[in-house]
Amino acid sequence: MARTFRLWGKKRGDRRTGSQLLAGVWEAFFFGTLFLLGSVSLTYLITSQVVDGAPRLFHPGFGYWLMVLSMVSFTLIGGGGVIYTVLHVGTSAERRSAMAKRAANLDLTGDAASSPRDYPSVPRDANLTNSPGIRLAYRLPVTHAGAWVLSAASAFFLVWNGITAVLVAIVVKGHLARAPDWFLTFFVLPFVVIGIWATYYFLKQMLLHTGIGPTNVEISDHPLRPGRKYQLFLSQAGRLQVHWLELSLVCEEETTYRQGTDIRSERCRVFCDRVFMEEDVKIEPGRAFERETELLVPHRVMHSFQAKHNAILWMLVVRGHARSWPVFERSFPIVVYPPPTESGDDLWSP
Amino acid sequence: MEPLISIRVRDQHRPFRPGEELECEYQLDAVDADDIQALEVSVLWHTEGKGDEDLAVHYFERLVPADVPERDLRALRLLHTRLPNSPLTYFGVALKIRWCVRLRVFLRRGKDAFFEQAFVLGDIPKWPRAEQEEPKARVVVKPDEVEDEDD
Repeated sequence: MARTFRLWGKKRGDRRTGSQLLAGVWEAFFFGTLFLLGSVSLTYLITSQVVDGAPRLFHPGFGYWLMVLSMVSFTLIGGGGVIYTVLHVGTSAERRSAMAKRAANLDLTGDAASSPRDYPSVPRDANLTNSPGIRLAYRLPVTHAGAWVLSAASAFFLVWNGITAVLVAIVVKGHLARAPDWFLTFFVLPFVVIGIWATYYFLKQMLLHTGIGPTNVEISDHPLRPGRKYQLFLSQAGRLQVHWLELSLVCEEETTYRQGTDIRSERCRVFCDRVFMEEDVKIEPGRAFERETELLVPHRVMHSFQAKHNAILWMLVVRGHARSWPVFERSFPIVVYPPPTESGDDLWSP
Repeated sequence: MEPLISIRVRDQHRPFRPGEELECEYQLDAVDADDIQALEVSVLWHTEGKGDEDLAVHYFERLVPADVPERDLRALRLLHTRLPNSPLTYFGVALKIRWCVRLRVFLRRGKDAFFEQAFVLGDIPKWPRAEQEEPKARVVVKPDEVEDEDD
């Protein structure tokens, strides 16, 4: 038997158990109360100043204006919440999506659209084709796979070593004054060890990003279509003795979901096809390693896809292992369109 | 009592090509005409998998009793729409994209029910690690009347 009232429900993302109608009523009640509280208090605050020139409760000053600001925010949040709730109660997800589509269609004439008009949910490639190549038509932009690792390592290195430096200064000062604090001295030791490790890790990441020269990938045409061939040009600069260097065509699924108050994002590699691999390459300064090769996009593969919470991402990935360096990886995003429907009907035949 | 909702997509057992015309019949039964406040029919895609659900409507029509002769929304109706070029039906590892015709009926006292009939757009084979499923009909899940599995 259905229950009309339950103390708690389960939710994941926008999906939740329990009555949507009841949830809407509660939401409207909450925001309505907030709106009433804000508007009534704001009215009282303002009229008390206008009617009574010298009010006993609130005198104009920092506290008065802080109250006005708080009540204005209550009124705006409450009013906005009531309007949002009323628009959502009794409106199906399909109807909201249709309204959003109509609104989006108004903007599709401009460059602001996220997808080409003929290919809904396929990302635009404007940012991938705005840089001409030297050998081929387009030079693809690079995304470093470990950029966020370097950022995190830098932040940790700075914060941790900052704290450690202050503690070490206190300890050294005590020892110099012949009044050592032995508890603090032993307490600081693990901090110093972790600080040394953080410095080593930060320097390693820094060298990895700056020590290996730039990687360039150029492509003969873009966007890509399944079943078609493209020319690729790869160049790797630097001063390296490379054990192996490979270029692969990769497809990944990216999913974003809410877990409690956290927003989590995961990637799953579903396709990886090596385009070429070269072993024992010596790269000298001023003489970059260069290789031109052919890329065949497989028939009947899924096209690039971009929605609010999910995406299918295609990319060219360059991986290499140079002597005395860890394996490095650089990604070059590309957009794969669906197979053509008019000129390439054979692609769809069973 | 639950209304009986039927949807029949013409040639639903073969994949549709992008740009192809979709024809569909739908009908309501086992419900009084006076109990139906509105009816929404849509052709849409939605995602399934680990991520939060994405949904986008390609075709949408909302009917209220005043829109039809004799104010009866139960009659057999036809739907025609030209399918878009993308996104294609996809059975991935952590993500699935499904197309369907969904019929939602709004009843008195704020209740609603829906039924959907899946179809396949495009001919993208599954990835080796993914599980492929046949297109199927899905019956409504009404939060008001369904208990949690672990309740």
